[in-house]
Amino acid sequence: MIYLDYSATTPVNPEVLESFSKAALNYPGNPNSLHKLGVKANELIAAATLQIANILELKSNEIIYTSGASESNNLAIKGICYKYKNRGKHIITTRFEHSSIYGPISYLQKDQFEVDFLETDEFGLVDLEKLEQLIRDDTILVSIASVNSEIGIRQPIEEIAKIVKKHPKCFFHVDMTQSIGKEKISLREVDLASFSAHKFFGLKGIGVLVKKEKIALEPIIHGGKSTTVFRSGTPALPLIVSLSKALRLATDEIEKKYDYVKKINSYLKENLSRYEKVRINSNEYCIPHILNISIIGCKPETIQHTLEEYDIYISTQTACSSKSNFSKAVLALTNNEEIASSSVRISLSHLTTIKECEEFLKAFSSCYERLTKLR
Amino acid sequence: MNSMTIIKISAMWCPACIIMNKFWNEIEEEFPYIEFISYDLDMDEEEVKKYNVGNTLPVIIMIKNNKETNRLIGEKTKAEIMRFIKEIDT
Repeated sequence: MIYLDYSATTPVNPEVLESFSKAALNYPGNPNSLHKLGVKANELIAAATLQIANILELKSNEIIYTSGASESNNLAIKGICYKYKNRGKHIITTRFEHSSIYGPISYLQKDQFEVDFLETDEFGLVDLEKLEQLIRDDTILVSIASVNSEIGIRQPIEEIAKIVKKHPKCFFHVDMTQSIGKEKISLREVDLASFSAHKFFGLKGIGVLVKKEKIALEPIIHGGKSTTVFRSGTPALPLIVSLSKALRLATDEIEKKYDYVKKINSYLKENLSRYEKVRINSNEYCIPHILNISIIGCKPETIQHTLEEYDIYISTQTACSSKSNFSKAVLALTNNEEIASSSVRISLSHLTTIKECEEFLKAFSSCYERLTKLR
Repeated sequence: MNSMTIIKISAMWCPACIIMNKFWNEIEEEFPYIEFISYDLDMDEEEVKKYNVGNTLPVIIMIKNNKETNRLIGEKTKAEIMRFIKEIDT
């Protein structure tokens, strides 16, 4: 099997799974219980949280555990908008966001929140001058992903933050799901950030919303204090411990792993661009872990299933919008329906070997012949 | 007067739908004698099935005397939709 869908999810690191099992077996108490077992469990959560905070250069109380990035995005957007709606009801986002950003934004529109989409240039990068013009007195939230999940476009987060910072009533949320654990990031200038563990070899079912200390938030799950007051529910101790482990392992030698992925991305890109009908949609501003391409005239699902015959797994688009088979992000970037309706995402990690890339290219060549002859 | 219905099929995860939501109320107010129905692609699956929706959202369907006369697909401006309705509504 050749797995090239690491941006959808990653296989769990056995060391992470081991830390999950050990915590689950050795710490049976509810961290909220006042007896000895509860206190012991609570101490373990505090240690895991401190480790996460140290890696991300945060304070422990700035970490809110959630079920994953979709919940984190929902909590950030609804939480800020409901808490600060008296300041204003205007939100700014882009056309390159995940469906868990658009979902809560659509929901808030029903409550008279107003949304504006920030324009992007030919590379998919946000227009900073336009951002300056779009922010109004009643803008309370700017939400932009650090890395787009379909094409891999990396936005200039620090520069965006500088602009948002000029407006003290406005908060800046960053969906960091596709960058945490893949590249060095800074959360210094960001107000809120979302991510989930399963994107960096952790387990599914746990994510984080980073929320800076002085910012308030309306919870979406009410029920009293858990690890924080912003998200109720029995703290998922084994998952929290496993997230801490996954983050430590993922950030270990992160630059070395990044450079390696960059090398294999270039190798694949160079070989794939030789095909007449292949268009490379990911550009020089994209993270190397994502390589989005189109085979003009071929349906994404046909490309996917043909490669599947060779036991190779790629992605057609972000799975959350599976009912629509073309990429909204590729359309927004290229403004070309032919390219957007034939795009697939190849996503890589430091576990992708050169041998796998060679085998993929061999299989791709056969698929290409078959698919383009069919037309 | 002929009866006219406009059906809008959109989805919460669709940015083009979010953009069009901004002015949809104004369109509805402009044509008080037209019946407007909004369906969500995911939530109203049974209803949406009847309209053979393709890959692009939103889909605006005009129904006159119980028959589909035309449809608009994808992101459109307020002016484009107004023009479209006025053309049908003559």
